[in-house]
Amino acid sequence: MSTNCNNTDEGKTPPAASAGGRPRLHPYLQIIVAAFCVTAAELLFKRGAMATANDPAPLGIIGLSVLGSVWTWFGIVPYIASFIFWLNVLRRVPLHIAFSIMSITQVLVPLGVWWFGSEHISPCRWVGVLIVLAGIFVVARPAMKAEEQL
Amino acid sequence: MTPDILLLCLASQLCLVTGQLLLKHAMTQTNLTPIPWWRVARQFSIGIAILSGWFFLWGGLLQRKDLSYIYPFEGMGPALMLLGAWLFLKEKLTLQCCIGIGLISAGIALVSAS
Repeated sequence: MSTNCNNTDEGKTPPAASAGGRPRLHPYLQIIVAAFCVTAAELLFKRGAMATANDPAPLGIIGLSVLGSVWTWFGIVPYIASFIFWLNVLRRVPLHIAFSIMSITQVLVPLGVWWFGSEHISPCRWVGVLIVLAGIFVVARPAMKAEEQL
Repeated sequence: MTPDILLLCLASQLCLVTGQLLLKHAMTQTNLTPIPWWRVARQFSIGIAILSGWFFLWGGLLQRKDLSYIYPFEGMGPALMLLGAWLFLKEKLTLQCCIGIGLISAGIALVSAS
């Protein structure tokens, strides 16, 4: 086990530009964009799930009936956008680092539900959210610092 | 938390981690030359199929519980992913990453318990 987080698959992240010179978003920035897309999708899915909560479920516990709500379909759009960013991230960043940074959604989703006033978030939950943020900082900072030095 | 909800959470996390491992493996191979398209397509398709399973399990959970209540259980993901990436993708683990992921999991546990 080494002592820093600069351990991409090939030792370093490929430069943030395609072969044709077209600039690309930095992979770590793409993770953040993907996280915002997932947050939007989750909020829309929740709305879709609530709208269909009393509908008969075709396969019992499996939530197929959520597809009966237009909100679910709206939620699929940011999910697809997030997925495209995510695939590009997977080419460049180790999975455990990318997935850990993606945990920022653990912060963004409670913020989202609190912002829209649909659910109450207790102070204890907010403390947990802050600890999650600290964890993401510990995982991401060394990796991003190493990126800057390349 | 009832046993069926806990089981659904665990099943959804397992689907999520397995699907992501397959996607990562497929996308890493697109950096090779020549790209082994057939292998990439096969792993990508299986990964998508498993992630679809996660999607429907997740939809079932959302119908039963508040989003802010069940979402933290997604937080088991980083720890499982760390294990999966180390075991199957041979990614190098670092002390800082392990500490960070430990913090993330602890924060999630706190959120879940509240």
